[in-house]
Amino acid sequence: MPALIKMTLRILLNRVKTDTLLKKNMTKFIKKEDLYKLLNSFLKDFEIIGPKQIANKGIFYEPLESIEDLYLGELFAIEPAKKFFLESSECLFHSGFLDGKATVQDAPLPDKRRIIIGLRPCEAKGLILLDKVFDSEYKDRSYINNREKSVIVGLACAKPDKSCFCTSMDGSPTGSRGMDVLLFAVEDGFIVEIYSDKGKEAFSSLGKEPDEHQNKTLSAYKQKRSELIGKNFKVPGDLSPIFESDYWDKVSFPCLSCGVCTYLCPTCHCFELVDEGRKMYRCNDGCAFSNFTLEASGWNPRPTKKERYRQRVFHKFDYFKKIFGENLCVGCGRCIRHCPVKMDISEIVSNAPSGAGK
Amino acid sequence: METKNIYLPRLAEITDIKQETPDIKTFKLKLSLVYKPGQFVEFSVFGEGEAPFCISNSPTRGPGIECSVKMTGKVTQALHELNIGDTVGIRGPYGNGFPVENLKNKNILFVAGGIGLAPLRSLINYCLDRREDFKSITIVNGARSSNDLVYKDEYPIWEKAKDTRLYLTVDCQEDNWSCMVGVVPRILEQIKPVCQDSVAIVCGPPIMIKYTMPVLLKLGFCPEAIMTTLEMKMKCGMGKCGRCNIGPLYICKDGPVFSYAQVKNYVS
Repeated sequence: MPALIKMTLRILLNRVKTDTLLKKNMTKFIKKEDLYKLLNSFLKDFEIIGPKQIANKGIFYEPLESIEDLYLGELFAIEPAKKFFLESSECLFHSGFLDGKATVQDAPLPDKRRIIIGLRPCEAKGLILLDKVFDSEYKDRSYINNREKSVIVGLACAKPDKSCFCTSMDGSPTGSRGMDVLLFAVEDGFIVEIYSDKGKEAFSSLGKEPDEHQNKTLSAYKQKRSELIGKNFKVPGDLSPIFESDYWDKVSFPCLSCGVCTYLCPTCHCFELVDEGRKMYRCNDGCAFSNFTLEASGWNPRPTKKERYRQRVFHKFDYFKKIFGENLCVGCGRCIRHCPVKMDISEIVSNAPSGAGK
Repeated sequence: METKNIYLPRLAEITDIKQETPDIKTFKLKLSLVYKPGQFVEFSVFGEGEAPFCISNSPTRGPGIECSVKMTGKVTQALHELNIGDTVGIRGPYGNGFPVENLKNKNILFVAGGIGLAPLRSLINYCLDRREDFKSITIVNGARSSNDLVYKDEYPIWEKAKDTRLYLTVDCQEDNWSCMVGVVPRILEQIKPVCQDSVAIVCGPPIMIKYTMPVLLKLGFCPEAIMTTLEMKMKCGMGKCGRCNIGPLYICKDGPVFSYAQVKNYVS
């Protein structure tokens, strides 16, 4: 079984990138105004990125000039924070001529440390999945630099959306995977769980140990939130028996190939390399577009929406799982909330015909 | 420790250019590279972009690498306009290459169509340079017309090699053409190569692969004994950019060389 051995080896080689985790989580309680004061004091050493309410548009992750703009409410950011790790368009190297000879040079990497605050548990888990691709056998230095320079301070979900399905993806509205620190909004402030050295370095100085009442609130919070997720389903173990099924024709029929699902997905990472003349960029791309796989000869291995949408579903729920042992989906629901034709990947996967192995 | 930039190409000077056919040129580059037959590199024509090409010379015949490029799109057109002495960027080598160790003491059948001979030429010359490691060698090489045949000056050498047969074919009869006529699968049916202790190595356009596979199976080759080298629009070459998935496999990283058993469900 050389294929199986190869796959196992690959799983072992792809070490999961986590910062040094603490042996025992630290738990603190911090008042809202104290948290904001602490963040304010970080502004001179860190770039602080967090959700911000933009009038008539919605919630967006942005670098914050003032901590007053930080939004830690129930609403979800429209775009995931993926863009701070895999920028939508990022220079990889410069090329040019010096004394008549061609030259190439690495693009400079940003140096400033960052705190990214307000990430939901699904998005932080998405980063762990991206690590498997970009911090594996071939390491993407700019992605790794962005990961290493960032402290992830998450926010547990208070009120999941109706399109959320993180629990079906082995996640939870209060999950800690990928987090350095996780905030739980309670009545008069935040209960803060600290998981890593990075988080400890930034957050251990403030707040106090939670009292008994607050500890009880925290365990009730963790228990209740998962129950609020409305969508629950099991992904078939192996989709390959229905690769050729007409089902993919049917479900991809409404798709407009707009690609919004791929851009808003915290785990979609397909890209294009674009030579802009003297600069090579890595730019977001997506399997929804017909020219994604179109070859110069005119041959296209994924010529219609059927093959393209099937690729999206198979990559997330079959191929990635076969290689890395988990789905390339965190159940954040963005592709459902923002699809112009109301396609619902959770329904499409859970209703897959019975030929698929359970 | 700073991580190396995996996207940064090495610079390589073009030391020779050979016009193989009206639209195919072979570029020879000054570059020391450790590679296996069947592996590929990403060529960068600065200002135009990158494109993947297999290395078409054998590692036994260094120094330098050769790539044969058919003028088809933007990057290949820019590449065809380059001259000896110009510089290109090279990333790689990428991919698994041919399992040369598993081919030892086997009869080897090479089946090529058009520019599909390029990756096979690397392995053919590798086998000829280590002739005693392999049993008989049969090469079936087809093209649309005699003008589209590549590496013509090597045919006499291949024909003369020990226990080696070369069958050349074109799709339609031409004046002054003395070799075979007909598409590659039909020629295979005529010559009936032995399947015992044999491995078939196939590369060509998708349509040729589609009709060649059933013929090989009928001749008695088992799917595990048919190797093919696939191509798709491979951008990164490292299993990240998401274009070249074929089932759970990435052509660029797990391939481009696969056994027919591995990919038969995905090649339609």
